[in-house]
Amino acid sequence: MSDSQTDTLKPLKTWSHLSKQRKRPSEYEVVSTNLHFHTNNPDKPFEVGRDAKMNDWYIKYRNNSPLKHQGWDAFRDPEQLIYRTYNILQEGQEAYVTGLLDQFSERGNDQMISKQWAQELNRLYAPTRYLYHALQMGASYLHQMSPASTISNLATYQAGDHLRWLTHTAYRTCELAKTWDGIGLGENERNHWENDAAWQGFRELAEKALITWDWAEATIVFDVILKPAVSAAVQKQLGLAGAENADTLLSLLNDAQLRDAERHQRQTKALIDFALTNTDNAPIIQAWVDKWQPLADKAINAYCAALTDLPDAAEEARAYAAAVRQSFGLK
Amino acid sequence: MYQIPRAEWYDLTRATNWTPSYVSEEELFPEEMSGARGIPMAVWETYDEPYKVTYPEYVEIQRQKDAGAYSVKAALERDAYVDRADPGWISTMMAHYGAIAVNEYAASVAEARMARFSKAPGNRNMAVFGTLDENRHGQIQLFFPHANVKRNRQWDWAHKAMHTNEWAAIAARAFFDDIMLCRDAIAVSIMLTFSFETGFTNMQFLGLAADASEAGDHTFASLISSVQTDEARHAQQGGPSLKILIANGHKEEAQKMVDISIWRAWKLFSVLTGPIMDYYTPLEHRSQSFKEFMVEWIITQFERQLVDLGLDAPWYWEDLTKDLDTTHHGMHLGVWYWRPTVWWNPAAGASPEDRQWLEEKYPGWNKTWGRCWDVITDNLNNDREDLTLPETLPYICNMSQLPIVGTPGDGWDVKDYTLEHNGRLYHFGSKADRWCFEQDPVRHQEHQSLIDRFLSGQIQPADLPGALAYMGLGPGEMGQDAHNYAWAAAFKKQAKVA
Repeated sequence: MSDSQTDTLKPLKTWSHLSKQRKRPSEYEVVSTNLHFHTNNPDKPFEVGRDAKMNDWYIKYRNNSPLKHQGWDAFRDPEQLIYRTYNILQEGQEAYVTGLLDQFSERGNDQMISKQWAQELNRLYAPTRYLYHALQMGASYLHQMSPASTISNLATYQAGDHLRWLTHTAYRTCELAKTWDGIGLGENERNHWENDAAWQGFRELAEKALITWDWAEATIVFDVILKPAVSAAVQKQLGLAGAENADTLLSLLNDAQLRDAERHQRQTKALIDFALTNTDNAPIIQAWVDKWQPLADKAINAYCAALTDLPDAAEEARAYAAAVRQSFGLK
Repeated sequence: MYQIPRAEWYDLTRATNWTPSYVSEEELFPEEMSGARGIPMAVWETYDEPYKVTYPEYVEIQRQKDAGAYSVKAALERDAYVDRADPGWISTMMAHYGAIAVNEYAASVAEARMARFSKAPGNRNMAVFGTLDENRHGQIQLFFPHANVKRNRQWDWAHKAMHTNEWAAIAARAFFDDIMLCRDAIAVSIMLTFSFETGFTNMQFLGLAADASEAGDHTFASLISSVQTDEARHAQQGGPSLKILIANGHKEEAQKMVDISIWRAWKLFSVLTGPIMDYYTPLEHRSQSFKEFMVEWIITQFERQLVDLGLDAPWYWEDLTKDLDTTHHGMHLGVWYWRPTVWWNPAAGASPEDRQWLEEKYPGWNKTWGRCWDVITDNLNNDREDLTLPETLPYICNMSQLPIVGTPGDGWDVKDYTLEHNGRLYHFGSKADRWCFEQDPVRHQEHQSLIDRFLSGQIQPADLPGALAYMGLGPGEMGQDAHNYAWAAAFKKQAKVA
């Protein structure tokens, strides 16, 4: 074994895989890039025998996705979010929400709303924990299936955000039930989610989205179709209905969640822009949008029909969702 | 924190199972990903995670933890501990980061498997935090070593190792891919969180943190003990799954999953952590021997947990207990001898004082391993370094992907446990390694060890330099003796004095 000094590899300023780029890598790049070693061998993702079934799942639904890019690892999150900054960001956001909850509790928010509105909340707000949980499950799928760590990480923090929304709902359901005992809060949500006409569109879309196994199609279904529809109808329009019904807390709480949703939309836009650097991808993405959009419109229409104080809710919600799609460069 | 006590609303955060009707339950939770094993959804809803945390608590606590670990790093950066640390300790860090950082990130994929596919809602929520935790562990254990890439090309391997076919990287992936990336949600909760994280990460992170503190490496100590606080929480996801499996007639399978995972973890630790604790860490900083750590964390504490849950100690428990005296010494000798094939500089840990300590901790060491090191020491002291370097490759186990080792000396006992399966002859380092294969031959049968690849002509040229190139190791990356043989020279001095 010779160890010739002339051949010795010199130390670098960063990881070897980043050392060719001209820009000095950010902390985000140092800790987030090129981490999925299981994308290295497209024919056998894992260091087990080829016949281990999990190889097939990843080959079929990730490596052989119709959406192609020669270097998914080059994707960068425009927010440059990393774990450390995610917690700083969301601890601050949660401090804000805690403040809201405290203030409105002191002010007697729940005592000032009408029984009718409390019943509406029971039917149209408390069941969001199922919807948000479906988004949480969807993001967890995208995390494990995305073809680059920088894409997986978008879903990592988004799954956290969806659990955040679900937590707000669970807390508020419990709090509302203290004032409005006996109307089914904390008890009837599953029944509403499974049977109430207002929810069936979203439930159908969520269930079908959750069994969309191709990572790229699932990304489009969740991030382009379902989530903007949820923001449009369940966060924005329901929040407006809350304001109409002296429930300022609900509208502020939903607005706080929309900050997360808007961040997800900026990230989705960047991912789609990146995917479209391969022009072959444009018709594939648009075809998925065309295939799924009717279900989202149906979900919005069914849900917004229940918001009787807001006759234009469905139209506005569809317009919001369409505007989000357009911001992604999609029809 | 929110005003209403958590206990009043926590259950609502995990009342999230519903009956799907637009798709079937089987479609929503495919068995190969969920692993419900025929146990009904309603039973999985009884899953009760012992460690409860909510979102606002999580982000607050984790922000504080990061502030602590990162500020220790920032404060000590100027101190440049790395420049004056013992080379053996540097090797400890390099081996640790290369084998662990990117695999911790990969563990977030396994956590996400539970977060999506577990039929237990409590498991799904906790696994979201687990996914975030492992994202943290990948990131923080990349950020810290990255500060050192300017010092030496070997630091690059904190990121690079898992992308290569370096043999230790293959062995690490073979273990982690098997128990965490290629398993259903429930199996992940048992094989990764319960079996591996409860016992072995405790040892790696708390044991190594104790050594790091002793060695004065406060940055590393605070980093890995902070990581362990997360592991201690999310490791608790497996216990409730085990309870449900056992109560519903699946004890045998649960036991098997635990047994496979513990054996495979033990073998990986015998090559990674054993040498670190008993040879690389400078003698004066070793808080306990590897065997003592293993006895405390695995043999005693972990066995107690198994029994508490209604499981038995694994069938090979006696073999494992016996192997604590031997296996890692063989692994260490192999790693040191084949030092050009690793990305760190192995410390021999065989100075006169080291050997005295080894003999105390492992009576009989001098008569067995010591005799090999005698020959190596003589060669080095007679200017025959060439005889201490490899020309060929060792035989490798088809399960652990590690060399097949035995105890040298008069009782030389190396044994190849073979198995013929579908016309192919497989080699194993122990009865338990072979048993792991036999539990699911289809899963493993096609896999080729580094030696299989060598013999089938995939590695060209078919010699050691060819193998090094295949492993991605260039000059400046290949390991050398950490102390430039000063430990061997100490024997020369001793002889002169005598």
